[in-house]
Amino acid sequence: MIKNLKPLLITILMLPMLHVGFSIAAETGSALKNDNLRAEPYADAKIAGNFTRGESLVILQKKGAWLQVKTKKNTGWVRLLSVKRGAATTTNKTAGALAVASGRAGTGQVVSTTGVRGLSEQDLKAAKFNESEIKTLESYTLSAEQGRQFANAGKLKTIAFANLKAGKGDSK
Amino acid sequence: MRALVKNKQSNLAHKNLLTASLLAGLLSALSLPSAAFDLKGALKDAVQKEIGQKPEPVTPAETPNSNASAVDAATTNNTTTSAEATQPAFNWKNPSKDEEIALGREIAGNLLGAAPLVKDAALQKYVNAVGRWVASQSERPDLPWRFGVLESDDLNAFAAPGGYIMLTKGLYRQLTNEAQLAGVLGHEIAHVVKKHQLKVLQKQQLLNAGAGFLSGKYAKDNELISKAIGSGAEISARSLDKSAEYEADRLGLSYATRAGYEPYGLPDVLQVLGHSSKNDDSVALLFKTHPHPDERLSALSDAVGSRLDSVKNGKTLENRFYQLKN
Repeated sequence: MIKNLKPLLITILMLPMLHVGFSIAAETGSALKNDNLRAEPYADAKIAGNFTRGESLVILQKKGAWLQVKTKKNTGWVRLLSVKRGAATTTNKTAGALAVASGRAGTGQVVSTTGVRGLSEQDLKAAKFNESEIKTLESYTLSAEQGRQFANAGKLKTIAFANLKAGKGDSK
Repeated sequence: MRALVKNKQSNLAHKNLLTASLLAGLLSALSLPSAAFDLKGALKDAVQKEIGQKPEPVTPAETPNSNASAVDAATTNNTTTSAEATQPAFNWKNPSKDEEIALGREIAGNLLGAAPLVKDAALQKYVNAVGRWVASQSERPDLPWRFGVLESDDLNAFAAPGGYIMLTKGLYRQLTNEAQLAGVLGHEIAHVVKKHQLKVLQKQQLLNAGAGFLSGKYAKDNELISKAIGSGAEISARSLDKSAEYEADRLGLSYATRAGYEPYGLPDVLQVLGHSSKNDDSVALLFKTHPHPDERLSALSDAVGSRLDSVKNGKTLENRFYQLKN
């Protein structure tokens, strides 16, 4: 009897893990713009619905530069940049995790473990020229050729891509 | 006669400054090397004097009204004479590349006075390698680009004219791959390429000159620089037009994409920054001087449209992304 239960138990225990592994967590998000949902992650795929800017959505999974999302009415694919990840509130998991990781949880104050202060406007105004530090900075200057070698080492290949121009709704 | 002497002096002064700039750029100086050397020292003195004697300098930006009226007064009086007597030292209207670099060096040096570099040569070299490669895809590949990570838990990044770019350790800590770093550096590179900070300084300088700030008998070239940047490193974090920030986002993404990176590095970082609370001290200055990350994301989204659909095989290179030691 107990033996029979074992696989079942394992399956039950595994289920949530599988779920997490499959999706990038059932993360919430909101629409950054009005856009169409597509049946598949391609620009010319069939339209499967639409959403409006500010609408909240559930992000199901990511494939390349596309996200599969669920709106109230439909499920479909949108471009990565159509969605702001995370809930609109400040109490989402990611922000919390980041705050914990950087020793900033809870108080909203910098709780620095290194004793280094911040860089406020006043700090910048009062700052005095530091000759030795600027020399150190300049000592790291690389040539264009050294940059290219670094790129080659990472197998980075330049591509043709014209500078982006301001979008239509970009006059804000 | 007097005017002639003045002219000669200012010509000489002009040469001196140029030489100083060349020295600063570690290039060889051809004439007046000793004078230039003095000048370089004086330049430092002037900055220190400026900051030391006036612990709380009143910047023109803070007193727009009094400044404006002063400009009016100067315009009606003797704009041309005072301008001609002191202006030739630093060509504010159209600074040369060397002048731009000399100016950026002063600002960057002040910034480093507020927060030193992280004592990790491998980190600094890594950031310079990524930045140099991205900058090579910009419209100004020939500048001597320099990059640094500042010892600060704040989340911010800075650009100064001539190719001086810095980001804080706090911001670096939020990054998870090289494409994101490339995007952040790309944004700052774009500020330099488009001379956003330089234009703010030029505008301010014209106000100063008009107001007679610099018409003193003993005004030296170096004082022009130190007075121009008045409040030290703060210029590198000064609020720019929102449109300048959106432009830097678009160009930063474009440069990183051309460099072969996955194009979503900068948007990724904006997503993360968007989750920061406005009340968090570490992003206070960033949020004060930039549109909210959500607005930037939205503007970037509008600009991108379907442009990235055909971009494939961009790299994130998280495997070689340099991990901070603490």
